[in-house]
Amino acid sequence: MKRRLFLRILGLSSLFYRWSLQDLAAADRPLVAVADGKGYAQVTRNAIAALGGMKRFVKPGDVVVVKPNIGWDRSPEQAANTHPLVVRAIAEEALRAGAKKVKVFDRSCNDERRCYANSGIIDGLAGLKGLELKHIEPERFKKAHLSGTGKEWELYGEAMSADVFINVPIAKHHELTGLTLAIKNMMGIMGGNRGGIHGNIENILADVNTLRRSNLVVIDATRILVAHGPQGGAPEDVRVLNKVIASTDIVAADAYATTLFGLKPEAITTTVAAYKRGLGEINLNKITIVKA
Amino acid sequence: MKQIRAARLSQLLFLLIFVALFIQTEYRGSDEISLAVNSFLRADPLVLTTYVLATRTFTLLLLPALLVLAFTLLLGRFFCGWLCPLGTILDLITARIKKTAPRQFLKGNFKYWLLLPLLAAALFNMNLAGLLDPISILIRVFTFFLYPLFGNAVRQGWIGLYRLLGDNRDFLEPGYGLLRDYLLPFRETFYPLAFLSALVFLGIVFLERYERRNWCRNLCPLGTLLGIAGSFSLFKRLPARLCPDCGACAALCPTSFDREILNEAECIRCLACRRGCSRELVAFPFAPSANLDQTHLPERRLLLGGLVSGFFLSGLFRFRFPGENERLLRPPGVTEEKEFLQKCVRCGECMKVCLKNALYPAVHQAGLEGIYTPVVIPRLGYCEYNCTLCGQVCPTSAIPSLPVREKKRAVIGKAVFDKNHCLPYARKTNCIVCEEHCPIPQKAIRSEATEERDSSGKKFVLKKPYVVNELCTGCGICEHVCPLEGKAGVEVFVVKDRTPLAEPGPSPSPQ
Repeated sequence: MKRRLFLRILGLSSLFYRWSLQDLAAADRPLVAVADGKGYAQVTRNAIAALGGMKRFVKPGDVVVVKPNIGWDRSPEQAANTHPLVVRAIAEEALRAGAKKVKVFDRSCNDERRCYANSGIIDGLAGLKGLELKHIEPERFKKAHLSGTGKEWELYGEAMSADVFINVPIAKHHELTGLTLAIKNMMGIMGGNRGGIHGNIENILADVNTLRRSNLVVIDATRILVAHGPQGGAPEDVRVLNKVIASTDIVAADAYATTLFGLKPEAITTTVAAYKRGLGEINLNKITIVKA
Repeated sequence: MKQIRAARLSQLLFLLIFVALFIQTEYRGSDEISLAVNSFLRADPLVLTTYVLATRTFTLLLLPALLVLAFTLLLGRFFCGWLCPLGTILDLITARIKKTAPRQFLKGNFKYWLLLPLLAAALFNMNLAGLLDPISILIRVFTFFLYPLFGNAVRQGWIGLYRLLGDNRDFLEPGYGLLRDYLLPFRETFYPLAFLSALVFLGIVFLERYERRNWCRNLCPLGTLLGIAGSFSLFKRLPARLCPDCGACAALCPTSFDREILNEAECIRCLACRRGCSRELVAFPFAPSANLDQTHLPERRLLLGGLVSGFFLSGLFRFRFPGENERLLRPPGVTEEKEFLQKCVRCGECMKVCLKNALYPAVHQAGLEGIYTPVVIPRLGYCEYNCTLCGQVCPTSAIPSLPVREKKRAVIGKAVFDKNHCLPYARKTNCIVCEEHCPIPQKAIRSEATEERDSSGKKFVLKKPYVVNELCTGCGICEHVCPLEGKAGVEVFVVKDRTPLAEPGPSPSPQ
């Protein structure tokens, strides 16, 4: 064999070798599925299917909590709450996978009756058997110890005891934390004076996310709010993206969603704090993004 | 079996309607409440009369009251015997209350001394009718006392069950769900003046131990007013006096046969005497000209006295402490305090219906003149941006019924930061919960990022909130959610100029 040929083969094979290494590593790399399209129910299904389908997460007989954002007395077009079609698709998938019960709730900021009505969630989930859409009942909060910050905080019992927790935020601007995504969506299971944590919000949210891991994260970016969040209200602050993002890695999901706003994941303190706590991967280069 | 009289049937029906409408006067999923308990006040001639005297205008809202007045002129004081829910409640319990002798000082002109000053005060711009109006009294005791108590008892029981059963309580959920959705108040709010409201009602019940319908015949200003109108009734009861050989009517009549001659002003047309007459002598024939001379009208001395005392009343009640005024926040859409007081009947419906329980009866904030009138207390509840319910249920449009678009621009007051308390200013701590909650799409509370040093000298970015006055409606959500314990770092204060905000145009993005 000529030396040149040998080198050539060596060089080429090393190329192959690198690829195969990458493939091997990919098994451990967090996967973020991004689905595009106008039929939001189907887009949501596609995103979940790209992760292996709902059966991967929900076993027959499970009690499933689907936690959307229903925080504000705003309509779906105003992009302050999770789109009801996204929530419905997830609930349907979970029920089809054999869930005994699917519970949907949020501790809203405006009057909960108006939020549930105006967000479209009541109409959106109507007629699903095995589905429970309820307001928060204060007696169900249970004291929990937040290990990172050393605080005691009340967390919602039904969220903590669920077999499967599906975190379904809407991606939107937030004046204090920059954006509010899946990690911050967990504020909806917190009791007490939530406003009081705003000085140390990222660490407390990392704590809460440690205590209640999300088995599946589905971020609704069908339309996003780019300013005046988290409540919005003006149509000029809304962008329609027709995207739904799904992942089992909450940090990776948030990191990817951040790019939709033209921001770097590291700019969002809640994502950084969760990453440092080992809740997931923030580095986009170490995340596999799958178009679904 | 005892046969039920038509009047009693009507009474029970209207009491039922009253209770049903009362429960219905709450947000139950729809932005509009088509029928509320305000219907009773809208059919209340006392409300009508004082409204017209105080404002010198008429409102179509009170058309039913005009009809009731017209029918009273025609038929007599039927309202008290057929419709009034307070009268019905008294009729239902009076049999269980042992009677002593009637109190003489309540007799004679006493009731006119209540009604006439009330009307005269209204003429001098002070409408106090709500204090003594029976429908207002009844709605108040329901709103401030009975309903919260009922709601709280059921709810505490339900929570107690959770302590006992834990998540197994879910099996009982369907039953409780029905109760919660159709019967219970959404929140158990306790109100100031609950005690006074209950006391007034219990006082009225207590009076029953002296004689039947004691309140109705001797005190009630609505009844008195209807009595005056009813004296002109075209139908007169015959015979006009007790029959010398029988006199059974005296026992049958709930109101006016405690003397020889029937007092037409007190006859509530319940027809108990006609049913009870063994000889079927009693009739209420059409007799337009009959014994008009018998109609008892207050004499001149009384009229004059009423006018003078009403004038005094309108001055005596007016004092207010200036410090209280600055926080005397009225419901959305109210722009003139004076006009508001002329119209408000203090029924408490706005407070009952208020989504976030922002409204409470004024105790001392508005002076004696304003007792029971609604005040926004933002620390307890805020005005929900998209909600228009208080205006919808107000029987006299003291709180105007505004479409959502306009309501969103209605000014209650303006928010003011207190930098000695507000976290970013006072403690260099990031917060801006107020800005987050501000419902105005362009944000009436904004923040500017500044670079600061913390206590250890490290640089960090601090967001300092400020108010954009032209956009602030004073809804109070900022004050409500301010995470400080005790006094909030941002508070809403009254402003004189409550012109609605300008119509929102497409906003320049503030980036």
